[in-house]
Amino acid sequence: MRRLLIGLHALVLVLMARPASAQLQVVTSTTDLYDIATAVGGPLIRAVHISEGYQDPHFVEAKPSFILRLRDADVFAFVGLDLEIGWMPLLLQGARNRKLQPGQPGYLDVSSVVQVLDAARGPVDRSQGDVHPMGNPHYWLNPENGRRIARLFAGTFGALDPQHAAAYQDGAARFQARLAEQERSWTPLLAAIRGQPVVAWHTSWRYLADYTGLDIVGFLEPKPGVPPSPAHLAGLIATMKRTGAKLIIMEPFYDRKTADFVATRTGATVLVLPPSVGGIKAATDYFQLLRYNLEQLAAALR
Amino acid sequence: MRVLAVAGILCGWALGAAAQQPVPRTAADSSRARQIADSLAIVRELEAATAAQPAGGTAQRLLPDLSAVGDLLADLSPDRSTQEDGDRLLVREVELGLQAAVDPYFRGVVYLGFSDSEGAAIEQAFLTTTSLPWSLQLRLGRYLLPFGKQNATHRHDLHTFEYPYALQRFLGEEGLKGTGIEASRIAAPFGFFQELIVTVVNQLGEPGPDLVTSAPASDRLGGLGYAARLRNYWDLDAATNIELSVSAGTGKLAVRLDRSVGGLNATNARRSLAGMDLTLRWRPLQQGLYRSFLLQAEVLRVLNERRLDLPADLADAQSELPQRDYTGAYLFARWQLTRRGFLGGRVDWLQDPELLAPAGSVGTLRAGSLYYEFFPSEFSKLVAGFERRVPDGGTAVNRVLAQVTFALGPHRPHPF
Repeated sequence: MRRLLIGLHALVLVLMARPASAQLQVVTSTTDLYDIATAVGGPLIRAVHISEGYQDPHFVEAKPSFILRLRDADVFAFVGLDLEIGWMPLLLQGARNRKLQPGQPGYLDVSSVVQVLDAARGPVDRSQGDVHPMGNPHYWLNPENGRRIARLFAGTFGALDPQHAAAYQDGAARFQARLAEQERSWTPLLAAIRGQPVVAWHTSWRYLADYTGLDIVGFLEPKPGVPPSPAHLAGLIATMKRTGAKLIIMEPFYDRKTADFVATRTGATVLVLPPSVGGIKAATDYFQLLRYNLEQLAAALR
Repeated sequence: MRVLAVAGILCGWALGAAAQQPVPRTAADSSRARQIADSLAIVRELEAATAAQPAGGTAQRLLPDLSAVGDLLADLSPDRSTQEDGDRLLVREVELGLQAAVDPYFRGVVYLGFSDSEGAAIEQAFLTTTSLPWSLQLRLGRYLLPFGKQNATHRHDLHTFEYPYALQRFLGEEGLKGTGIEASRIAAPFGFFQELIVTVVNQLGEPGPDLVTSAPASDRLGGLGYAARLRNYWDLDAATNIELSVSAGTGKLAVRLDRSVGGLNATNARRSLAGMDLTLRWRPLQQGLYRSFLLQAEVLRVLNERRLDLPADLADAQSELPQRDYTGAYLFARWQLTRRGFLGGRVDWLQDPELLAPAGSVGTLRAGSLYYEFFPSEFSKLVAGFERRVPDGGTAVNRVLAQVTFALGPHRPHPF
């Protein structure tokens, strides 16, 4: 009996053991937030992300291994606007981490500081597809929102780790300075893109279009999250012919057969663009993601 | 005094003027100024957004998430309906759900079930703690017991029409529920995810509606239901993962006797459960919208108390069903064919307590089924399926079923 009690005691101690760490533990829902967080926090934080850049961030599986990541986190930064609604509640509930409960500083809804497009102004229901009533969640593709995210991270990390608050502010300033420098170099690319008509698969590119002046004349999805029907495609083909749209842009995680079909009927080109960091190998960080997308668009539209 | 006042005004003006003097601006100053300007812009936007909230917005935000799930079934079996009440077309259940944070310490969930055959019932109603230390969590109320893999899944969320036969016979047609308290803790002492769940409930299972015993099974603490489950989870790679878990439970439950005296027709007997389940999932990250595979297997064993504790008046009575142990298992696989279409199949085998064989032995039940699931969206599901059920020594039954489920309300998390 005594051995049993000693064994049980040892088991409890092993189960309760948790390595201490001085770094701020940050978990982000996407690779984009991860990249900006690491740019701001540098070696002061230890960041991991849940979804990959080449994965549809809405359909991430709520794996228990993610629960372990969240259990030990000081901050969980997520895109919000219901992008992660399919898996985030299960993970947060499973993680039992008080720091990540709504209202706590570690529960970081990044959408709270960005300029949101497509927020519903009237009644919303599911007949409109898988709509996001609070707005389009793909906002990181506008660099202005990238800046705001960096500043939000600097403020949050600094509040949780006041000793290094100045370093986080410096990290955010460096990020913004580099972004401004990048933007200056994009001027010829933006000139080639502005006003050009294109078709997109999903509403992911609304923010990039807003930034570049790209004219999205139609979507392959008739409604968000709803696969295209033949009737919708026929209408879309007519729209493309009428507007002269010769480019279809889509994410790497959609099946391109439908896009290829429309392209053959309209003489258009299909361009697969990464919506997030890591979506393709060239999109190694936030700056490369934006640059790659702009270069590809400009090359296709010239 | 007047001199002092004039001097003060002059000093103030001078300081103010000095503050307004143009000074050389560095890049850092510009950056800081821009940050401040942007921060102010954000504040203004947030203020505007707050001001734009309609009257009563705060009260609306405090309302719980309200959802409803409809589960419609058509039994098109060739010989006759295989439903309990013989219906061909039925609303099997409508489940109304309410969920919200109760306060900073608890989250509350209530599921009310409505069906033609059973009327209204509290399916589940529980509080879950949100603020306990050491990765602990408590659940209090009525809930699906964490015993085995599929039992914790709502019936309408299953990939099949019904629970596997082993679960139906050993745990209950609508799953094993209990009212009590559950404690769980997650840990990774060996480098992989583990969760230990222990629960105490009023009773481990539902006794028959017309069974009368001399005292409730939970009259003594030893008669309560106790269950535990240990989950073990591994990521094999980014696309593939495996879960191997074990469950056990024990408690007392009323057993029907072969005779009745003074209105008593049952006695409480100990029933213990043991189970093991394995789930393999494959979903490639990039093609995950179109391709996935799920393989699931469970083995359950029920151990029944042999010697019944009988009242004096019923000293020579016996259990109506043989007090023996039973084993059952199933294997389920599901392959994603298209973005919205899935093909699944299940094989069941069990020693069926409902199949009495000669000499008090028990017959086995074998069943095989195929399903095609189609999801028009994340909020509706159409299923068509065929099942062939072969009881030992009995006539094979062919079943043809179709099901429609739909969900109203907020987007729910995808089951994992």
